[in-house]
Amino acid sequence: MENYAEELRTPPITLVSLVGCPELHPTISTYLHSEKPPINTLALPDFSKISVLAKKQMENVDSHLPVGILKRDWLLKHRTSGILKRDWLLKHRTRVPAVVAALFRSDQVSGDPTIWLQVCTDLENLKIVVRGRNIKLVVVVVQSTDKDEVSEDRMIALRKHAEVDSKYLLIFIRNDESELTKSLNRLGGAFAELANIYYRGEGRRIKTCIEKKSFNFDELNIRYCFKVAVYAEFRRDWIEALRFYEDAYHALHEIIGTSARLPATQRLVEIKTVADLLHLKISALLLHGGKVIEAVVWFKQHIASYKKLVGAPEVVSIHWAWMSRQFLVFAELLGTSAATIPSNPSLVLGTSEKPLTGWEFHPAYYYELAAHYMREKRHCQEVALSASESSKGIGSSSESVIQSIFVGQFTRLLKQGEAATQPLTDAEYVHHVLAEGKRFQDSYYIIALLKKSFESYSSLKSQRMASYCGNQMAREYFALGEFGSAKSLFDGVASLYMQEGWITLLWEVLGSLRECSRRLGSVKDFIEYSLEMAALPISSGAESFGCEVYGPAGPPTFPQRKLVHKEVFGLVKGEPILTSDEGNCILAITEDQPLHLEVDLISPLRVVLLASVAFHDQVIKPGAPIPFTLSLLSQLPNPVEISQLEIQFNQSECNFTIASLIKEEAVASDIGETGTRVETAQNLSLLTNKWLRLTYDIKSEQSGKLECVSVTARLGPHCTICCRVESPASMDDLPLWKFEDLVQTFPTRDPALAFSGQKIVQVEEPDPQVDLVLGAGPALVGEHFLVPVTITSKGHAIYSGELKINLVDPKGGGLVSPREREPFSMDSHHVELLGISEPDGEGESQAGMDSIKKIQESFGLLPIPFIKLGDSWCCKLKIKWNRPKPIMLYVSLGYLPNNEAGAQKVYVHKSLQIDGDTAIVMIHSFMLPYRQYPLLLSRIKSYDSGDSPSLALNETRILIVSAKNRSQVPVRLLSMSIEMDDDEIGRSCTVLQGGDSPLDNAILVPGEDFKQVFTIIPELDFPTLAMGTVSLRWSREFRFEEQSHTGLMATEVLTRHKLPHVNVEMAPLIVNLECPPHAILGSPFTCYVRIQNQTELLQEVKYSLGDTQNFLFSGSHNDTFFVLPKSKHTLGYKLVSLACGSQQLPRVTVTSLKYSTELQPSVSVSTIFIFPFKPEIKMDDVGSKLPESIVT
Amino acid sequence: MIVCVAVVGHQNNPLYLQSFTEADDALKLHHIVHCSLDVIDERVNNPKKTGPTLNETFLGLLYPTENYKVYGYLTNTKVKFILVTTDLDVRDADVRNFFRRFHLAYVDAVSNPFHVPGKKITSRTFADRVSDIVRTFGLGTAV
Repeated sequence: MENYAEELRTPPITLVSLVGCPELHPTISTYLHSEKPPINTLALPDFSKISVLAKKQMENVDSHLPVGILKRDWLLKHRTSGILKRDWLLKHRTRVPAVVAALFRSDQVSGDPTIWLQVCTDLENLKIVVRGRNIKLVVVVVQSTDKDEVSEDRMIALRKHAEVDSKYLLIFIRNDESELTKSLNRLGGAFAELANIYYRGEGRRIKTCIEKKSFNFDELNIRYCFKVAVYAEFRRDWIEALRFYEDAYHALHEIIGTSARLPATQRLVEIKTVADLLHLKISALLLHGGKVIEAVVWFKQHIASYKKLVGAPEVVSIHWAWMSRQFLVFAELLGTSAATIPSNPSLVLGTSEKPLTGWEFHPAYYYELAAHYMREKRHCQEVALSASESSKGIGSSSESVIQSIFVGQFTRLLKQGEAATQPLTDAEYVHHVLAEGKRFQDSYYIIALLKKSFESYSSLKSQRMASYCGNQMAREYFALGEFGSAKSLFDGVASLYMQEGWITLLWEVLGSLRECSRRLGSVKDFIEYSLEMAALPISSGAESFGCEVYGPAGPPTFPQRKLVHKEVFGLVKGEPILTSDEGNCILAITEDQPLHLEVDLISPLRVVLLASVAFHDQVIKPGAPIPFTLSLLSQLPNPVEISQLEIQFNQSECNFTIASLIKEEAVASDIGETGTRVETAQNLSLLTNKWLRLTYDIKSEQSGKLECVSVTARLGPHCTICCRVESPASMDDLPLWKFEDLVQTFPTRDPALAFSGQKIVQVEEPDPQVDLVLGAGPALVGEHFLVPVTITSKGHAIYSGELKINLVDPKGGGLVSPREREPFSMDSHHVELLGISEPDGEGESQAGMDSIKKIQESFGLLPIPFIKLGDSWCCKLKIKWNRPKPIMLYVSLGYLPNNEAGAQKVYVHKSLQIDGDTAIVMIHSFMLPYRQYPLLLSRIKSYDSGDSPSLALNETRILIVSAKNRSQVPVRLLSMSIEMDDDEIGRSCTVLQGGDSPLDNAILVPGEDFKQVFTIIPELDFPTLAMGTVSLRWSREFRFEEQSHTGLMATEVLTRHKLPHVNVEMAPLIVNLECPPHAILGSPFTCYVRIQNQTELLQEVKYSLGDTQNFLFSGSHNDTFFVLPKSKHTLGYKLVSLACGSQQLPRVTVTSLKYSTELQPSVSVSTIFIFPFKPEIKMDDVGSKLPESIVT
Repeated sequence: MIVCVAVVGHQNNPLYLQSFTEADDALKLHHIVHCSLDVIDERVNNPKKTGPTLNETFLGLLYPTENYKVYGYLTNTKVKFILVTTDLDVRDADVRNFFRRFHLAYVDAVSNPFHVPGKKITSRTFADRVSDIVRTFGLGTAV
């Protein structure tokens, strides 16, 4: 766009002229310029300068007139010797105003006659100048305020003189702000109106010429159309402007074949230049009008119609340069109007006849083609130059060639400083063009165009198009010898091609990169690119490829790959390569600058060397050998000889070297000093796409992870390639080669290993050679249970050992460290680790160790003293169960087998489940004295109050507490007693321990019961009376051998059994049955029923006595009587038994009428044994208290 | 005349590329085919622009270079077929017909049990069939 003059690039702006009153000019021109649409101002300070507006006088033509040519003919020829005058538009934009405003001060107008006369003269002169060009006139009278008026007569006189309409005689008031604005508005309005009239008139004038066809030359038609269009543009009548530009364009197209005015070449150049200009105008109008599709279609037509007008073969370059310019200009126009591109779906489709594609709306496409044609131009120019140089040198005469007054024409300047020119012949013109072209740096121009295209495509995220541009840019740089720039561009392009697997494209780019590296003298890059090239999947044979198009890479064939391979390995082996064709510099790998290549998982060199390592097992013991397979693969076309392979592990002591058998001696001396392991292999040669598999054993002493990290292959004396090792299980396909139809190969012989093999192996911890023994046994709730832990050294001495003890709930989900739990949770208190008792006699470091010992409820940490080989050490864990609960005891011992610095800790773990059992279970029962029945009212009222036993006040009750051994070990009972809570029971009841004999350390074997009898007399009438707690003291009874062996001491355990609360109440009636324990057949005996009334009331009692066949008895069967308050009533029966044996006494039923309650003693109570005769036994001691103990 | 046909895999990698010109423009055709993938990407990613051609395999004219026209076709397995022709007046129906036949040939080629999906097509039969389709392009003979 910069090639075009300003007037062509921008729409024309109305020009007006101001004459006189120069002090006002800045104000007015600023105002007019900010108007919409703007108006440019040509300011003339006074009337003496008005001649610039006048038409050029024809007199000065005479001086240039060639001798012997008539002036009229010359003029005619002059007018028609071109299509468009170069400066016509500029003239109208800068020199020929549409309106002239003559500014007079009011004092000038109303002044004395001499001044007035001057005004009239000035005006007259101006009118003459203006009339020649049809320029419109405005007369402005400048007043300082609206007060100093000019007389009416003078104003009329002025208007008459000026011959202007009254509305174009304006008053301009300058000293009043608001009046000034008004005046400016008035002035602007008048200018706009008159300018419009002027441009329309001029346009119409020329239009009539076109309509009348009053021209002899087609060129004039074009010129007229152009002028009309420009005048329309001045008026901002875009539609008419477009129409006439198009007319001009079509008219121009018609004269292509017909015009014979100039020599052929120059004629074509002129036509194309004008077409270019018209096209620029049309495109700009279309695009700014938002008609993008029309613009694109127009452009396509434009190109289609001119593309074939190549012209003479010597100047083809001009044509291509012109084409390039068309594309560039359209790209720039499209770029500037980019915001107006509608995102209309139909846009892409265009018309059905000529479908448009999306790219044709993006400047990038046009930039790229501009670059393309520019390259074409350069090519043609080079051809033309070489042809002309070979024939004749280009004369310096072309220097005097200048552009003529017509657009697209060139003339020879005859004399410097004068306008004398001479037309050129075509030959001269070609000379001129070639000479001009030589000065021009086409390559940088092309690069600039491509760069624009590249950026534009990149912003559209069209990376492939962008890389194509990048590629072309890089090639330009390469051709220019700027290898650094070329290389960075090529690198970007190569990565895309590599990613998408476009082998042929990649080959070309890599070839260029390789050449760049060679020229830049970068050995490493050269070798890398060469290796990449050699390893590309190209297998086609030698075909008739054009070497030219592939650049320095040569054709993409298999032999070429082999050639590249040979060349690079020559360099690796030490044969230098010249960096440039001149041979002043060489590429070489020397001892001072060894070459080290790195290949990682994403490196493009992975195809050159791929290393995979698979261990044959997943876990090994330390020190045990494990086989592993190292597999190497290369896609290079020729076999690769590796002289030495170094294998690196993460444990550096495992590193080793594999040397080729042939070069073993040399290598061995090389690496002998380092002391690493050296293996040899028969053959370390890599064949194309064939795995080289090497299997070796490896030993690791260190537990943990053993990983093969990398493999370094030595290719030449000073060249190594280091390859990251991959696991076969997780190996990706080779880039590029994965699309090839190759036979699938496995890195290992065993296909299973190829799918699952890992480069990592887990080395286990060394086996412990120490015994850890936990003593076992049932634990009892409450006791301090001792678990003996014995550590016996068998193969290792124990240094800085440490014992960790964990108590874990086996149901709690594995081995959770109790430290992580809630520290005060109830759960952890069911079982407590109380302490660790260490064996006596090892107290020399006791004080120090105590401080390290850490005991918590369920976790313990204990340092272990040094234990010699073969010795043992024992400690006891003291654990207490508060509730019956099985727990898991984990004990782990960590120790160092030696006290060397790098020793690794060895761990021994043991676990043991211990169920804590309840040793003693106690139950209790309350019993009444025999045949005594207190009437308890609460029993009668509600039957469900039987939860808590009811006791009668001041009556004896018997409590039997029985303790049962539920454990599996014998238990020694020490004492049993009832302990009162808070002294309450001391007042409320009397407890007597029955059975005066002490417990006497009774041993309770498993399953046995022990019973103790207590007598209780409640002394307080209270519904819920606390009875206290039964306390049983006992201890585990060790067998003799246990005690002597382990030295365990029994601990005394207190088991408590809480007695329930009892209900104590006054019994209103107490019934006692009294009868002898036995009787003798036939002899009478007496039974009594005693009813005691404890109330203050008279109690009516009814009783009845049932008959029985075994007894005869005296007394009434039933009766009712009253028992006096606080007294006792006794009923007596005399009975004679009729049968012997255990006999049922007559059933007595006592009924208290007041309480509506009936007592009928049970069958067992009313049973008596009848002896047939008086037995010979002593029955002194036998009281009526404990009859059942005898009976049962 | 058709100068080049190509099959491009769904990772935008070339699976088959055959040029039918005598001149040394194989590299150029590679570039053209590669660049046209950008247009396909754009069409596939912005289906709203293509509007009525949604769900259609034939992508139409991709872009005009100075001497060539490039047409595209996208199978439902995201394999792209690209046709480069020097004919300036190409009937849409001819191109559609070409792609239909080409698609059939492609399906037959990849149905070969010895063909690994995603790898380059090396079948000689496929190449012969493609040459045949290319030769009869535009003759108006339906298969």
